[in-house]
Amino acid sequence: MSSSPSIKRQLRLQIPVVVAGSALLLSGCSVANSENAAGATAGAASDTLRVVLQQEPPTLEACEANLTSTGVVVRSNVTQPLIERNPTTGELEPLLATEWEATSDTEWTLKLRDDVKFQDGTDFNAEAAAYTIDRAVNSDLGCNVEGYVFGDTDLEVEAVDATTLKVTTPEPDPILPLRLSFLEVVPTSTSDTEKVREPIGTGPYKIEQWDAGQKITLSTWDGYWGDAPAFPKAEYQWRGEGTVRAAMVTSGEADIAMGLGPDDGAGDLGVNYPNNETIGLRLSGDTAPLDDIRVRQAINYAIDKEGIVASLYQNKDKVAAQLIPEGVVGHNASLEAWPFDLEKAKALVAEAKADGVPVDTKITLVARNAQFPKVTELSQVLQEQLAQAGLNVELKMTETSQHLQYQIRPFVEDQGPIALLIQHGNQAGDAAFTVEQYMLSDGAQSSFGTEEFDKRLLEAGKSSGDDRQQAYEDIFTYQNENVVQFATIAHQTGILGKSAAINYTPNSSSGDELRLTEMTPAS
Amino acid sequence: MLVYLRKRILSSALPLVAVIVGVFALARLTGNPANLYLPLNATDQMRADFTARHGLDQPLLTQMADYFGGVLRLDFGESLRTGESAAAMALRAFPATLQLAATTMVLAVILAVIVGCWAALKPNGIADRISSFVSMAAASIPDFWLAIVGIWIFAITLGWLPTSGVGGASAWVLPIATLLLRPFGVLVQIVRGAMVSALSEPYIKLARSKGAGDVRVVTHHALRNAAAPALTVAGDLTVGLVNGAVVVETIFGWPGIGKLMIDSILQRDFAVLQAAVLLTAIAIFVLNILIDLGYALLDARVRPATVKA
Repeated sequence: MSSSPSIKRQLRLQIPVVVAGSALLLSGCSVANSENAAGATAGAASDTLRVVLQQEPPTLEACEANLTSTGVVVRSNVTQPLIERNPTTGELEPLLATEWEATSDTEWTLKLRDDVKFQDGTDFNAEAAAYTIDRAVNSDLGCNVEGYVFGDTDLEVEAVDATTLKVTTPEPDPILPLRLSFLEVVPTSTSDTEKVREPIGTGPYKIEQWDAGQKITLSTWDGYWGDAPAFPKAEYQWRGEGTVRAAMVTSGEADIAMGLGPDDGAGDLGVNYPNNETIGLRLSGDTAPLDDIRVRQAINYAIDKEGIVASLYQNKDKVAAQLIPEGVVGHNASLEAWPFDLEKAKALVAEAKADGVPVDTKITLVARNAQFPKVTELSQVLQEQLAQAGLNVELKMTETSQHLQYQIRPFVEDQGPIALLIQHGNQAGDAAFTVEQYMLSDGAQSSFGTEEFDKRLLEAGKSSGDDRQQAYEDIFTYQNENVVQFATIAHQTGILGKSAAINYTPNSSSGDELRLTEMTPAS
Repeated sequence: MLVYLRKRILSSALPLVAVIVGVFALARLTGNPANLYLPLNATDQMRADFTARHGLDQPLLTQMADYFGGVLRLDFGESLRTGESAAAMALRAFPATLQLAATTMVLAVILAVIVGCWAALKPNGIADRISSFVSMAAASIPDFWLAIVGIWIFAITLGWLPTSGVGGASAWVLPIATLLLRPFGVLVQIVRGAMVSALSEPYIKLARSKGAGDVRVVTHHALRNAAAPALTVAGDLTVGLVNGAVVVETIFGWPGIGKLMIDSILQRDFAVLQAAVLLTAIAIFVLNILIDLGYALLDARVRPATVKA
């Protein structure tokens, strides 16, 4: 290095200038040019509905619409199912299919609309409906909807003519129309070897633009077969912090904020709705001391559910007696929650101890960080209350991936007795979706069960109508009296932030399917 | 200088490789992402298919060899979450972080130099005490708390700024102010210390005796000598910003590399995590070289010593 003093001085002066200049140049490009935010959000365009979600959807692929963040954008907005479930009444209603009937034990015939087009201009018909079912349920794509709704079952589909579709199941399936309501219909031009990021559908909105990392914009589609929605555009953004989502609604930057907690600060703009989620403990009933029913009963008596709901959830949640809330087929309205009775809990533990049950064995209470509002506080309360009953409980907070190792088979081994804090949502509206995974002795999320109980569960799944309702009601009673794998705590309430400029009443499906057509400007 | 540069590059490249190998191995030790990506009641067959489809059923060394083979062909794999190219996702996020970090650091340096010089003029005077208190507080306030309080005051109560997001100039204010405080606080103390010692040097007394005023003494004489330590610390702080903007990016919805990294960790999105870490490591590597060069340019004493070492 042999520069003269004057050159050195120049260099010294230039370094900060160059850095400052580059920073200003940089700040003028890409991110800054992506428009909107500050300027646009302050003076919200009334033709755009602005929604803020908890996270960016990983994909908008129609067969992944069971993922919350995907479904909330796509379902009923961009794509539509053949049949839809009314989230308030629980009844199935026609959509792309006008009627359906069981034409034999294993065969269903559906009549389809003939006036519907996809957003690429092609006709919706039985061939497209058959293709959708085949692609999502019978292919190797590994669609979410397959695992959640259809499992191992493959379906035989046949387009009889343009408006008639025949679906055959290997076993009698009385709730096939309900299962079909989870399938978002796509045209035959959609790849069946790869998932697509942005689907083409028959819905009122099409995807206008997806600025990865920033926002998704939908705009109305002129060729929509139904009534045009009130808002020509919709814009989705995402923020991880509940307080920020709430603040976006209170400051006028967003019209709807999803997934708020009671303390996020939405104030009067927070709207409560039943979200079909239930929280409780799942007890590993095959490990001592949880293999003794008295200990499991004691846990149920030891939890002060009323107190928890009042102090942590501002009385918005409802004390739960079973894993599904009212409105889901099979809910047993006459079943009463276990009363809080610490003395009884202590007595049951003492009785078990007297019989040689190792009640001092450490039970691990496993919970998941940020799974739902106040989960940490709730976990601590539960630990304390179980300790009061005379049990030795250690709390373990985990993140999602770790929690899943406790939640689904194959479970982690050699961890001793586990009380897993679960949040179970039954958005399908039928108990089958709950009991088969949580109560069968080999169910994906079940850690206990009996042969006798398994038989009842499988029988119930084949029944229909009133028989089905009764069969599942009996199952929940039997669970509480004879199995006690769960200590259910509360049916949760969702909170959605809604600006005063919008008319919208959320319902039990809003967390998974936010129908933009139900939103209108408040005048 | 070239010899020095070559040595510096070689000695920094090794940790770079170590970081990539470490991230690769640690990510895979956290478990199979099949559980996260498939529905809770997916069948065993669906899980096995998923694992095989993404090559996660192969031994770790095979996976790593495949990965490095891909990197040599500039193929960094695909995101499990989105199916997009991992490199494209990382490259898209990186400029957003860089813009934030660069703007923050330029402002931090300017403010710190002004306040630090002002404080150093009269050690233990009122200005010094105030700046000392402010800079200590600024360096120790947690980002998370500051961000939420900033949103509460300026976005909700006063309505002056947007809560979050990207866009016009106003969207930059809160994230930058949140990120700015710590480097500003640290730098004020460095500048002040260096200036106090520079101002007590004989040549300053000489300059003063020749009639130079405070401003001239500071800008033309003392600052030059105080700049080197401040530049080194500013460089380190920039590295910290690039690496640690996670909290600020997450809260303000800033689509940068920090947010991408944390999302990829939580989602077990291995390819994206690897691409993001690699890009960040390269950026830090380049930044470190630039800092060393800048330091060498400013202070001739550094060069021979470092070369000998």
